[in-house]
Amino acid sequence: MKKKRCIAMLLAGGQGSRLMPLTEHIAKPAVPFGSRYRIIDFPLSNCVNSGIDTVGVLTQYQPLELNDYLGTGTPWDMNLRYGGVHVLPPYQAAEGSDWFKGTANAIYQNIRFIQRYDPDYVLILSGDHIYKMNYDKMLEEHINNRADCTIAVIDVPLEEASRFGIMNTDGKGRIIEFEEKPKHPKSTQASMGVYIFSTDKLIKYLIEDENDKSSSNDFGKNIIPKMLDDGQRMFAHLFKGYWRDVGTLDSFWSANMDAIGMPEDEPEKLILNDPGWRIYYRHDSNQPQYIGEKGEPKNSIIGGACDINGKIEHSVLFNNVTVEEGAFVKDSIIMDNVKIGAGAYVEYAIIDSDVTIGSEANVGGPRENGKLSVIAKGIKVRKKGRVKQGDILTKPEEEEETK
Amino acid sequence: MNAVGLIFTDGFDVDIDDMIERRTLASIPFGGRYRLIDFPLSNLTNAGVKNIGVITKKNYQSLMDHVRGGDEWDLNRRFTGLTILPPFSTAATSETESYENRLEGLVANISYLRYLHEKYVIITGCDYIWNEDIEAFYRAHVASGARLSVMYTKKDIEKTTKTESTYVRIGDGDKVTKQEISNTRPKGAYTSLNTYIMEREDLMDILFKAFRSGKKSFRREVIRPMIEKGEANGYEAKSPIIHIDEITNYLKGSLSLLDKDVRNAFFSNDDRPILTRVMDSSPTKYGENAKVTNSIIADGSVIEGEVRNCIIFRNVHIEEGAVVENSVIMTDTHISKGARINYAVLDKNVTIEDNRWLSGYITHPFYCKRNSII
Repeated sequence: MKKKRCIAMLLAGGQGSRLMPLTEHIAKPAVPFGSRYRIIDFPLSNCVNSGIDTVGVLTQYQPLELNDYLGTGTPWDMNLRYGGVHVLPPYQAAEGSDWFKGTANAIYQNIRFIQRYDPDYVLILSGDHIYKMNYDKMLEEHINNRADCTIAVIDVPLEEASRFGIMNTDGKGRIIEFEEKPKHPKSTQASMGVYIFSTDKLIKYLIEDENDKSSSNDFGKNIIPKMLDDGQRMFAHLFKGYWRDVGTLDSFWSANMDAIGMPEDEPEKLILNDPGWRIYYRHDSNQPQYIGEKGEPKNSIIGGACDINGKIEHSVLFNNVTVEEGAFVKDSIIMDNVKIGAGAYVEYAIIDSDVTIGSEANVGGPRENGKLSVIAKGIKVRKKGRVKQGDILTKPEEEEETK
Repeated sequence: MNAVGLIFTDGFDVDIDDMIERRTLASIPFGGRYRLIDFPLSNLTNAGVKNIGVITKKNYQSLMDHVRGGDEWDLNRRFTGLTILPPFSTAATSETESYENRLEGLVANISYLRYLHEKYVIITGCDYIWNEDIEAFYRAHVASGARLSVMYTKKDIEKTTKTESTYVRIGDGDKVTKQEISNTRPKGAYTSLNTYIMEREDLMDILFKAFRSGKKSFRREVIRPMIEKGEANGYEAKSPIIHIDEITNYLKGSLSLLDKDVRNAFFSNDDRPILTRVMDSSPTKYGENAKVTNSIIADGSVIEGEVRNCIIFRNVHIEEGAVVENSVIMTDTHISKGARINYAVLDKNVTIEDNRWLSGYITHPFYCKRNSII
């Protein structure tokens, strides 16, 4: 079979505990984003748009919905005879079976998958970032630098640098030091969790790492520092553009709001309506949205099959959402199949799919007061019910009431 | 379901020249994201029809681009699926022309029918659209033992008087007693939806004989004799029907989707979804000062101005200060600030510049051709 120049391995096994309750039943990369996408659509579409047609998706936590979503890869044109998208769950082998112990171990367990395509380079991605990036430019740099490993970095404000893994480089972009969440950062180049390895070096270090019983088998903690210590050629690739980690409820909320539109003075914007860099997704068969006589959508993005008869301000609505007359939704994310009853009020909240909010119910409060409210999948809020600002409602509201 | 589907993509009785100048009737955009072919294709596949032949005549490039391999309808199977039947001359026509009527269109494609195995053929078209249970039509036909079944509606269908339509009279036991072809509906007759079911081998036999004896008309010389011999049954379609035969009825039919009952009858049946080609557009975006009421808005559009009683297709941009009412605005059209549009049908990729005021009336819509700049 023809060899592939570069394949991607997408780490999609993380539990996403900081996104609870959104990740209660689904893996983090399958969490819906921006009216109609899932988080994983961003790295997958980036791959396709960058000319990478073979992606191994490493799943572990709650993979059912993610597997269904990926299917045979048709939405991303990855339904190929040779290559395409492959779901790689942990498996049982002759010498035993293992859950993926860490990010490096997950790739280690799938070395045979990589070898099958015999690529010169392997791109490692994670499934919890929203960004549009041309990996091919990074690969070109990697080749020109004759690098063993290239790490994508983004310039972050100095005061935030201590939240990230920071790369210190020499004048030519070669990484001389890597610090995980440094107290006193020496630079502002934060790792995006996007790596390109030359395949031989990757496999060599994965095997060494696996044999080191003290290792926690993690790229950031073990593989990268070890390669640096050994003096391997490691380079930073500076990415300029919109990039957000959506690992927490607050960052997830604000990235969704960025999808509506960002201020003119913001240098890097998230633009979804971009024919030159489409984000592909799996489609529901639904009908176009209908805005009713009393509908007032403003400054919002709205998905298919919605029936809007209330006031919507600065919000992200997914598919098949019904908003009845007199209802008011502001600064909120409303996922698939949510029904918001007449006269209900929802402000600064994330409403997960299949939620019903009774008429005249009251959810959340003004954003100025600080706290985000969340209602988990399938919950029913009764008529005139109240979900206090900052509440994370994961059980039916009747129980709340008896307290 | 033991039937193959045949879909005519041309209108034989329509007066809609502007819209089909560069496309077939079947690829006229409709309802914000669909094309007319989506309705017969979805109706047939929802009923379990696995083999569908699409009979084309001319200007079918946009149609082929839309249906491609039939993936959206799960028709991209290894041994069954969608077959585009391109036009070619039969001995009955001159070498340069393709067929002019349904009979020639069918005769030219006898060989497609010959190699299938299904017992029955369902023949339909794109000028009447609906979401009807075709499986029930099929079952009723098989149970009736009739040679031919004809779908009709008792509803009053608005049509132009410039062209002829088919009407049927129904007698006892759903028997079709008479077929009439005229410009207006004869009293007591019902509108035939030009949708038929009969046995495949029987159809091939009839077509072959009709062709050999130089017949020209499917309805007059093939269907009518069967009706006159009492071999045809009627089947009443109960769902709302939209007839696309001229621009006024196109606008009225489009805007009728704003009625909740009509919209639900077309689109809210989970067992019978109307499917179309997906485009990976971004979500619909509403601006700070958008004012939108009673409208269907497709994805990829950016609405910053005022929209009332409209059907807006994909990737339409309506700037702040523009007012659009009672209109159908097709894909990629741009309406600039200060423009006012009323009772208009703007075809694909039209640009309306600042402060242009365009208005038609419900009986005389203003139509604007594809790629025009005003």
